[in-house]
Amino acid sequence: MAVDPAPAAGSPPPESPGPGRGPVLRPWSAPVPGAEERWLDRLRVQRELHDGAALRISAVAARLGVVRHGVPADQPELRRGIEDVQEELHTALQELRSVARQIYPPLLELAGLGAALQEVAGCAAVPVVVVAPPDRFSTAVEGAVYFAVAGCLRALSPGDGEVRVTLRRDGELLVVVLDGVPHRLTPGVLEEVRGLGGQVTTRGEAASGTIEVGIPCA
Amino acid sequence: MRVALAEDGSLFREGLLMLLSAAGHEVVGSTADGDSLVALLADQPADVAILDIRMPPEPDGGLVTAEKLRAAHPDLGLLFLSHYAESHYLMRILQIGTESIGYRLKEKVGSVDVLTDTLTRIRDGEIVIEPVLAKRLVERPRGERRGVIDSLSPRELDVLRLMAEGRSNTGIAGELFVTGKAVEKHIANIFDKLGLHADDSAEQHRRVLAVLTYLRSQRDDG
Repeated sequence: MAVDPAPAAGSPPPESPGPGRGPVLRPWSAPVPGAEERWLDRLRVQRELHDGAALRISAVAARLGVVRHGVPADQPELRRGIEDVQEELHTALQELRSVARQIYPPLLELAGLGAALQEVAGCAAVPVVVVAPPDRFSTAVEGAVYFAVAGCLRALSPGDGEVRVTLRRDGELLVVVLDGVPHRLTPGVLEEVRGLGGQVTTRGEAASGTIEVGIPCA
Repeated sequence: MRVALAEDGSLFREGLLMLLSAAGHEVVGSTADGDSLVALLADQPADVAILDIRMPPEPDGGLVTAEKLRAAHPDLGLLFLSHYAESHYLMRILQIGTESIGYRLKEKVGSVDVLTDTLTRIRDGEIVIEPVLAKRLVERPRGERRGVIDSLSPRELDVLRLMAEGRSNTGIAGELFVTGKAVEKHIANIFDKLGLHADDSAEQHRRVLAVLTYLRSQRDDG
């Protein structure tokens, strides 16, 4: 296993990729100060959207329904006008939901990595199988791993083969294995997890191989 | 209809109470959390309980509250109103029950007609699933199911979408302006193409479950 959370200075990490292993990418640095807090900030902003603007718009939709109910039957244009406005409110909320998912997916917060990644897998251009334990991790770790994997899955093209995403806890590491993905997606994955001291290794074919992430989750 | 409500957002709770009362329903009680609703309904009969999913007890109090209510009052209908229409929650809701149960977006029950139709279907034993979610499930099934979905005719897709909303044969016929016989024929064709057992078409709840499970499953979990 070539995944260490943060190799201690002075004691070089074991560099034995093993047969068939590709280049091993090391983290640029130890965990970046403040990285954890930035994920908590993102979660807080997402919750504000839900508890504030979104709830207020839903309440307006219900109150418009009361107003519409009071419109006499001989004014169908007015009734239709109110229905159109309600439909616009639904569209506005769908846009807010999309923004919320990009900040910190509500499903990730409430149901964890397995459920949230299943949803992303459903939208990928190729069949994706997700195997994840029900374990919960910190807000930061779940956020970083979610965006690392989701970025990968969204970058796949219809021509690529089936992809398998496997998550498992290995001591104080959360290990994420992406099988059947092109190695060129590695920098994007690393970008998401390096702030938390995560590291990424690759092996197999460059066009369709394995990207493995190890991220401290103790 | 006698309705009880638990919702922690006071703005939406007030709006919904106004709409329920405009629709002529009797609100037997409204609370800001699930546990208070369970206590309230212990000695107060109701036809349907409306529950926010994301409310106290955190994180998803609506679901644990629903489990308690279903155990204590098996005949009480349950309507989940949420800001999110997620298939993950739909599956958890259907684990609580597959009769007299519904899941809709908060802003989509914003009319007297839609709200009353939703509550009536739930009281009458049906499953009611948010059309936005049913449409997404049908249009975006898990990877390897797509080829089969592509083989359906446009009319069969309409029928499948309405089945995924939990509609009965009569309901589907009414929505599409066709006869019940025509709906039965479409359903038989759909089940044939999906490789599901046509026997399921006889029983609405099992049929809805079969269709949803089909759309949601990935190869490894069958």
